[in-house]
Amino acid sequence: MQSLNLNYYYVLPHIILSITGIMSLLFGAFNKQAHRDLVFINSAGLITAGVSTYRLWNLVSSNAKDGPLTAFSGMVVLDHMSLAFIFIFLIVAFLSTLLSLNFLEDEDQSPEEFNSLLLFATVGMMLMASAGDMVMVFLGLEIASIATYVLAGYRKTDLRSNESALKYFILGSFSTAFLLYGMALVYGATGSTNLETISNAIKSGNNAITAQPMVMELLYVGAGMLLVGFGFKISTAPFHVWTPDVYQGAPTSVTAFMATGPKAAAFVAFLRIFVFTFAASYSFQLHTTWVNLLQVLAILTMIIGNIVALSQTDIKRVLAYSSIAHAGYALIGFLADDWISVAFYMLTYSIMNIGAFAVVSVMAGKGDEKTELENWAGMGFKSLGLSIALLVFMLSMAGMPLTGGFMGKFFIFKTAWDKGFHIIVIVAVLNSAISVYYYLRPMVMLFFRDENETNPTPLMSWTTYVTILLALAGTFYLGIMPGRLFSLLEVAKDVLVK
Amino acid sequence: MNAFKPYILNALVFLPLLGTIIMLMYDQIVGKNEESLRRIALFFSTLTFIASLPLIWWTGDPALSVNVPWVENLGINYHLEVDGLSLWLVLLTTMLMPIAILSGWTSVHDKVREYLAFMLVLETGMIGVFLAMDMILFYLFWEVMLVPMYFLIGVWGGERRIYAAIKFVLYTMVGSLLMLVAIIALYLLHGDAQVGGKATFDIVTITKNLADSNFLSFNQQYWMFLAFGLAFAIKVPLFPFHTWLPDAHVEAPTAGSVILAGVLLKMGTYGFMRFNLPMFPEAAHHFAVPIMVLAVIGIIYGALVAMVQPDMKKLIAYSSVSHLGFVMLGMFAFTDMGMQGSLYQMLNHGVSSGALFLVVGIIYERRHTRQISEFGGLATPMPVFSTLFLIIAFSSIGLPLLNGFVGEFLILIGTFNSTYSRAFAAFATTGVILSAVYMLWMVQRVVFGEITSEKNRNLPDLNLREKFVLVPLVILIIFMGVYPSFFLNRTAEQVKQIRTVVEKNKPSNPVADNLK
Repeated sequence: MQSLNLNYYYVLPHIILSITGIMSLLFGAFNKQAHRDLVFINSAGLITAGVSTYRLWNLVSSNAKDGPLTAFSGMVVLDHMSLAFIFIFLIVAFLSTLLSLNFLEDEDQSPEEFNSLLLFATVGMMLMASAGDMVMVFLGLEIASIATYVLAGYRKTDLRSNESALKYFILGSFSTAFLLYGMALVYGATGSTNLETISNAIKSGNNAITAQPMVMELLYVGAGMLLVGFGFKISTAPFHVWTPDVYQGAPTSVTAFMATGPKAAAFVAFLRIFVFTFAASYSFQLHTTWVNLLQVLAILTMIIGNIVALSQTDIKRVLAYSSIAHAGYALIGFLADDWISVAFYMLTYSIMNIGAFAVVSVMAGKGDEKTELENWAGMGFKSLGLSIALLVFMLSMAGMPLTGGFMGKFFIFKTAWDKGFHIIVIVAVLNSAISVYYYLRPMVMLFFRDENETNPTPLMSWTTYVTILLALAGTFYLGIMPGRLFSLLEVAKDVLVK
Repeated sequence: MNAFKPYILNALVFLPLLGTIIMLMYDQIVGKNEESLRRIALFFSTLTFIASLPLIWWTGDPALSVNVPWVENLGINYHLEVDGLSLWLVLLTTMLMPIAILSGWTSVHDKVREYLAFMLVLETGMIGVFLAMDMILFYLFWEVMLVPMYFLIGVWGGERRIYAAIKFVLYTMVGSLLMLVAIIALYLLHGDAQVGGKATFDIVTITKNLADSNFLSFNQQYWMFLAFGLAFAIKVPLFPFHTWLPDAHVEAPTAGSVILAGVLLKMGTYGFMRFNLPMFPEAAHHFAVPIMVLAVIGIIYGALVAMVQPDMKKLIAYSSVSHLGFVMLGMFAFTDMGMQGSLYQMLNHGVSSGALFLVVGIIYERRHTRQISEFGGLATPMPVFSTLFLIIAFSSIGLPLLNGFVGEFLILIGTFNSTYSRAFAAFATTGVILSAVYMLWMVQRVVFGEITSEKNRNLPDLNLREKFVLVPLVILIIFMGVYPSFFLNRTAEQVKQIRTVVEKNKPSNPVADNLK
């Protein structure tokens, strides 16, 4: 048992964001037209949290030989993985804050709840990343999920938005139940909710568990339920059915957040429990079992995501199925036991997806009226910059070189091929080829169809403009000069090995 | 002077891109003026051509190389180099581009700025493919080039442009993504073998290490040859993978067809020469017979289908399938002559079929139809045009003293002298005869005879711009036919190297001893 180590410094980013969230709420209560001020408050909080995360990263790097830093009786674990993912969440939250301003102003929605919910969701995701205990994973997950359920239904008078929120809530709770049951069973088998204790308990040679068939079965069933629960959260097939409806109904700027942040958060908790706790160096085939199972799931996810996306006519549904397919690609890095490639992939995925949704939110106009691709016929040359931005994001998702999407896929395929996962890499590659069809379809509508004169040129607010520019810059930066980031992450890898 | 040389390579890649940026800004700063946009594009493509000319004399100079690390931890370098294999293809590209831009001077009025921007980006991509000496860099240019071509077909194409554009991209993507897997596999195997020290994607290093000690098992070579080969075979296109080509050619605007036929198809054959032969020589022997069979089928099938086409562009498209069959045949003969001829035929096809597409573009602009039956007796109203058309058609057929003859002759001799069956050469020769049939028949129906349609009676002959487009190509056709050693001398050494590597890894009985 670890000592009760109440080190608030280790959760400083979480604290900063929580306080910022409360401040947003209070500020909005006293100032009704505070849309823009709240963006500044949020950004300031996010940047401060970013700085403190950076300091923690340095602290972890310098303390590398003693292993990861823990606090609060092992509830909080700080290592490079958690901090890398926290960075991703901060970036996602920052871009989403910028993006949502236009939605809030245009449709006269109250900004203070929105902005604070966004931050609370981010805090939940950060807790998931730095969780050292299953209870903490669950807590973080609930904080993030409940905030996102509310955000999905933020367009209160819109039926689609209500449907989206309700669906997300019911299916989300259902999956959380699976997760919790799985945790309970694993606790029953190993006698602890602390991940380090669990991993020690199932270490090979530890007869306490291996000698008892009943206990082992308990562990297997528990792990299976955890797999189902996380499968829901990252939307792997066959647990993906909620995704398209929820993504389509939610306001586009919320979809941008939902599709990226919570997914990355589920990935990091999933990594923490499966790759690190039920790890390869441990025992009795638990690792091989979940790897084989997940391999099948990943192949299914990619194929279903890509094939169904081919027949979609609504851009938000296309992007929803594409996000399912991307979960499949990221799972390949997961299978290869390599969190670095998963983290890099989630970063590129988040940036290009937020960019794409930002463009969609502009093209769709007020109230997300025009998300059907048919409505976009011939708009390409009218709003050239916007269309080219969408082209870049789409090509990045398809894995075209010079964009972050290519580097992410390349990194994952290379790692997986090196580890011997040949078939799944080939399946993934063929899937990428299929995906080109639906990623280029918006281009067919935008550029190849004749212009529809009645379509007004979409207008863009400056915050959306900045969001798109930042996402573009990020996509190209990750695609052209990923070297610096790679070397940072490689250092982290060395540290873990020690 | 030596310090200056690497800049030439960078200039070739980035000059067209610079032109694009200037064009895009011109609209914002100076205002909308189509004429000056065209001038800017022409200026930059011509400048690129001039910059590429010194390569003829400098190739083989070790100073002519750019090699800087790009993503260091993954072993990706920004490595550009030019050698005998790529020299003439680079020049072909830089030469065809100004001509293609000139050819669309009056026919493209819609979204001129975007059209020209895509053309120049395309040029960057094509030159990059030929110059890249790093596998990831090669893959990058190979893929990035798809985007402008997709838009050129899709926006400025004909009736069925959307179908053609999507088909073009999907076909290429399937092949090239498998190539990416093979690139990764080769990188990892090369790294495991520890021959060169650090893991790298560098083509020169890997080729050299493979030639010194072949660390790939036959099985590994087999699969990698297939993965690379599929990407290239689709691009060439080798017989069963050719169906995208007629669609893309017919629907693309004239300039797009010229570039497609002139340069894009060569990227496939170039890929075979650059990767498949020197890197996987044993597998190359194993697959030589099947590929030659497909090549011969392509030669005859392409020619037969071309014969019955009523549409001129489609006819030329199918003739490309036939001609590229010759290129593949000569390459897999593994003789000096065959491979030299193959390389030469790539250039010939680029020049002749590029010129043929320009010819079709010129009469399409006047009559807005490409149906052969709509024409007849064009020699009376358009004498200059008809003369040039005839010379170009002869070059495509392979008349002695014109370029096509040299290439086809070398290929046929080389194939005849190879260790494989002489029947290949015999069957391929029928392709030469068939090409005379479809080409001359088309020329006869379009140019000679009575004027069948009143609309054709008063067609204007070539104007100055069109002469500028066609005459340089015709001069080149004659020059390449009369003085081939100017070209062949510069490729000889490289071809010999590749052949030696292939020869060294020859199984004792190439046909029977397939599976070790």
